[in-house]
Amino acid sequence: MPASLRHRLHEAFVRWALRVRPPEATPIVLTQRRVYVLPTRAGLAYATALGVILLGAMNYNLSLGHALVFLLAGLGIVAILHTFRNLVLVSIRPGRCEPVFTGGLAQFDLVLQNQRPDARTSLRLFIGEGVPLEIDIGPHASSVATLDLPALRRGWLPMPRLTIETTWPLGLIRAWSCAVPDLKCLVYPAPATRAPPLPWGGDSAQGSTRDGRGADDFSGLRNHQVTDAPHHVAWKAVARQQDGPLLTKLFFGAAAEQIWLDWDALADVTDAEQRLSILARWMIDADAAGLAWGLRMPSLRLAPDNGAAQLCTGLRALALHEHGAH
Amino acid sequence: MARIDRPVSRRQAWWLLAGAVATCLPLAPQFPLWLALAAAAALSWRAALTWRQWHLPPRWLLVMLVIAGTAGVFLQYRTTLGRTPGVALLVIFLALKLLELRTARDAVATALLCYFLILGQFLFTQTIPTALLACLTLLITTAALLAASDDRPEPQQQLRRAGLMLAQALPFMLLLFVLFPRVQGPLWGIPQDRFSAVSGLSDTMSPGSIAQLSQSDAIAFRVKFKGETPPQSQLYWRGPVMPSFDGRNWRVTQTLGAYAEVPYTGLGAPVDYEVTLEPHGKFWLFALELPATLPAESALTSDYQPVARQAVRNRLRYTQRAWPEAIAGINEARNLLGAAVELPKDGNPRIRAISAAWRAQHGDDSAAILAAAENFFSRQLLIYTLNPPLLGADMVDEFLFDTRRGFCEHFAAAFVFALRAAGVPARVVAGYQGGEVNPVDGYLVVRQYDAHAWAEAWIAGRGWVRVDPTAISAPSRISGNLADAVPAGEALPFLARGDLAWLRELRYRLDAVSNGWNQWVLGYNPQRQRDLLASLGLNEPDWRNMTAILSVLCGAVMLGLTAWILRNRLRVDPALAAWRRFTARLARRGIAWQPWEGPQAFAERAARQAPMHAAAIGEIAALYARVRYGPAPQAGELIRLKARISAFRP
Amino acid sequence: MRLPELDAILADINRIILGKERPVRLSLACLLARGHLLIEDLPGVGKTTLAHVLARVLGLDFQRIQFTSDMLPADVLGVSIFDRDSGAFHFHPGPIFTQVVLADEINRATPKAQSALLEAMEERQVTTEGKTRALPEPFFVIATQNPTHQIGTFPLPESQLDRFLLKVELGYPDAAAERELLAGADRRQMVAALVPRIAPQQLLELQERVRAVHASPALIDYVQILAAHTRTAPHWQAGLSPRACLGLLAVARAWALLDGRDHVLPEDVQAVLPGIIGHRLRPMDDTARTDPHGVAAALIEAVPLP
Repeated sequence: MPASLRHRLHEAFVRWALRVRPPEATPIVLTQRRVYVLPTRAGLAYATALGVILLGAMNYNLSLGHALVFLLAGLGIVAILHTFRNLVLVSIRPGRCEPVFTGGLAQFDLVLQNQRPDARTSLRLFIGEGVPLEIDIGPHASSVATLDLPALRRGWLPMPRLTIETTWPLGLIRAWSCAVPDLKCLVYPAPATRAPPLPWGGDSAQGSTRDGRGADDFSGLRNHQVTDAPHHVAWKAVARQQDGPLLTKLFFGAAAEQIWLDWDALADVTDAEQRLSILARWMIDADAAGLAWGLRMPSLRLAPDNGAAQLCTGLRALALHEHGAH
Repeated sequence: MARIDRPVSRRQAWWLLAGAVATCLPLAPQFPLWLALAAAAALSWRAALTWRQWHLPPRWLLVMLVIAGTAGVFLQYRTTLGRTPGVALLVIFLALKLLELRTARDAVATALLCYFLILGQFLFTQTIPTALLACLTLLITTAALLAASDDRPEPQQQLRRAGLMLAQALPFMLLLFVLFPRVQGPLWGIPQDRFSAVSGLSDTMSPGSIAQLSQSDAIAFRVKFKGETPPQSQLYWRGPVMPSFDGRNWRVTQTLGAYAEVPYTGLGAPVDYEVTLEPHGKFWLFALELPATLPAESALTSDYQPVARQAVRNRLRYTQRAWPEAIAGINEARNLLGAAVELPKDGNPRIRAISAAWRAQHGDDSAAILAAAENFFSRQLLIYTLNPPLLGADMVDEFLFDTRRGFCEHFAAAFVFALRAAGVPARVVAGYQGGEVNPVDGYLVVRQYDAHAWAEAWIAGRGWVRVDPTAISAPSRISGNLADAVPAGEALPFLARGDLAWLRELRYRLDAVSNGWNQWVLGYNPQRQRDLLASLGLNEPDWRNMTAILSVLCGAVMLGLTAWILRNRLRVDPALAAWRRFTARLARRGIAWQPWEGPQAFAERAARQAPMHAAAIGEIAALYARVRYGPAPQAGELIRLKARISAFRP
Repeated sequence: MRLPELDAILADINRIILGKERPVRLSLACLLARGHLLIEDLPGVGKTTLAHVLARVLGLDFQRIQFTSDMLPADVLGVSIFDRDSGAFHFHPGPIFTQVVLADEINRATPKAQSALLEAMEERQVTTEGKTRALPEPFFVIATQNPTHQIGTFPLPESQLDRFLLKVELGYPDAAAERELLAGADRRQMVAALVPRIAPQQLLELQERVRAVHASPALIDYVQILAAHTRTAPHWQAGLSPRACLGLLAVARAWALLDGRDHVLPEDVQAVLPGIIGHRLRPMDDTARTDPHGVAAALIEAVPLP
């Protein structure tokens, strides 16, 4: 059978087998109905060997030969049951899936749960044509399987069809099943490697100081005034310069620097993706600098803020820019 | 299928090596020394490779070794076909395959070769010890196959799992063994080397040929009588009949397949029995005199000897009926009778003279001549011994008049000679006499040392009459056994000696086990299968309904095993089990318990939905909460909870 | 076997904080479980009153610290002031040296000031200028923070939030409660008129009793799988920490004791769960900030009882 035809038949079968329109409701339980059992190549060789042994036993009228071949045939059947048992009723829940940048590896976490009091051994999971990941699940335990998929385009990257299979214990039988867990990965645009410097000043500048750091930084001393809070008195400085006046410590009290990252400011960059990349780079740089930043997009406006949450929100907006599906 | 290319780990290599050793070791005695040593060297090499983690030998070297091994086998056996050379080749392949264990694919191939070689063992012997040894090999090889998939478990765990899986495979084996439609082999020609050295009667008899057998305690056949076991003196197991005499050797000259049915009539009560014949490589089947029926695939020769269509190369079982008293050959063909008086022209003058005297005295009255001959033999005071002296050219004369010591073949040969010299048709019958009943299983065991020869004389009006000249001189040989008949001090086969009672007892037991093994395991053939199925009420089953029955039963076992394998061994908390019963009852009333719902919350909700049961629900929920979540719940509370739930009828 | 003193305390508080039985009960459970409380709500809904009332009925000292952006750690912890007469430094304890501290608008202060408070909270002692001073026992911090993102605030990072055992939201009172509030007596006077229901020693005993409430293996299993679910499910950026699990169990114990039980039921865990996860689990989907009760309900329904 040519490989392409076999592939097409397999695909057709999987489509039929999955019946439920993906993605599926969680948890996905691999019930008896959706676990399929087929011999592996080793299993076919085993069956052939049994046939030859049977012929030999018949020809030489070897009763023990018959017994041997029948015991091995029984072993084959038992292997089917054990392999089937190893996979059946595993339940799959979608796990975490952190956003990644385009060009990175999307990592889909799946939580595989084993309700049974004995372990499941050597389950292999793979998506698409990927490298199989082999995991065990302990008795009454769950394991997290992390499957990698290159993230090629920004936006939502849904988890492709998962194949889970096992040939344990004898390697003669392959039990397999398919599932489409409801899991998608948010792919941010890749931050541009070469980007214009952060848009300080201009029409977007509201702050005035450039260092924009926290407000608790010491900036200097001045003579104490009655209205100054007693805890701002620089006691140590006072102690040093004997008979001198009381001094008060001064701090930057201003709010952190604010900048605006503006889609329209990049009008000279024609490629929309390139613009998104540059914006992503700016966000990351601004966040690293501890700035409060806002985002202006054609369809969205994000108030200036700092912190991880703001970065997530901003990158997400970039990822889903004119992407349709939310 | 990415796994098949996984390299073989060290642990897997050890396992496969263990499997190969377990497979090859029992076969070693079958091979010439060079081959055994070569295999041992290859296995040791493998062990060193694994131990030292050296690189595998290059492929060209292995190809050379395979060629060398094949050539060696060919030089040894002059063929590569047949049993021993075939198995030898497989051993070489296995040993060399171990040296190129690269991927999981090689590991599986090695394990399959090991399985195959277990069959090789059975080609040579199928005794109980062989079977036990094969079980061990099977266990190790299966563990090696398990390790080929997952090499992490410890060896004991691996063996335990292999044992468990094999144990689970047993029901299938039993079903298939009993019900799988059996085909009588061979399917194609079997090279003859399988039957080179089997002891037993031959188709010629010369002085000393049977005495030689008397040193063997190998089993010739076993007999199970349907009714009473006939007296020892009646147990004449008819074997090859030898009417032709050349002065020294008696020979078989029978016309094969002369009769499809017995040409004589029986008198008195018939005896029914079943024979399990050990393979002896000849065509004849042994039957109690005289056979009234013929086993399947056999015919009766002109001298009433049942012969099989094919040489008996496998243990053969047949049921038989005998007429201990039968009148046979009253109208015997003239040419046969003529042949039965032929003697060489000269030799043995003394007995010829005596026979001539009988002839002169009694004329054609062959009965009287027979009586005279018997009388003569008893007067000669002949001695029955296992060590008769060597005889010269006039064997009969020397035996009767000079040495007077002989074994049964001497007696029979001399007697037939005497009768023929007197003109009475007579012939030598070889076979077995007597046998020993094993009190453990009731089988009569006939061994090679029970081999015997006697005479048959043709008397007008009575047909062929059996005369046992040995019985005339040594009646205890016939009524008792060999040990009773020979003088004390003569070397007897170990098992024929009667002086060690415990040994005898032990032998009986071992023999009964071995017989059961032969009968039910090794002797389970198409015939026995048909008989068994018939006894189960399934007459004349064809392969189609046998397959159907087999599938149904296998399916049933599979279902049972599936249930057992998939059973949820979850030990549910007894309180939780009771709670589930309770919620199931409410669910039937349309009040479904959510699996995340705590007992109190559920009780409140249920009480709102079914106010008339509010009190009972509240009490049960409180009890359950206390038993399941409370500190140190008392046993009484659990019982109370169960009782309340049992009594709860929403 | 409900404890009358606890019922009396709850009744007292509920007389003043109207229509907020559940947050009140949670707050009390939090204190009984020896945890610190974070109240996130708009100004004026009674956060301060709640803290005040709690301190009064439990018979504890009370201090309020208003957090501002120019606040220094010393403003919380205290400073050593040079005494010219004696020629030595004297430690002037900060407002934190009290049994109940109300840290108002904690997210207005700079991270430095915040961390000074939070470290003291965690260790129940203050270290300044190389000297360690123990905080009074019992010691509670009731912090409030504004929910809206405002310029110039310093939202507490998750690691710091984890130190608060519970977060409760008071919310606007319902119409009936608000009417009663408007028609009723002045809250300030009512607070002032409150008499302590228990002595501090009794409070410590109650805390001991909370610790003695039985949590059966089945219940601990439940807490464990709840936590495991939060760690693996895709809805949150990080799961519950072991400290959060300990806290969950502790509050559930207190909740059971308030209910008059000597053992914890799954219901107790479920009841306190919103307060535990509200400030700990950050939704993956940042745009959809769901209320903690909805998140907790979804979590509860996703995890069957073992």
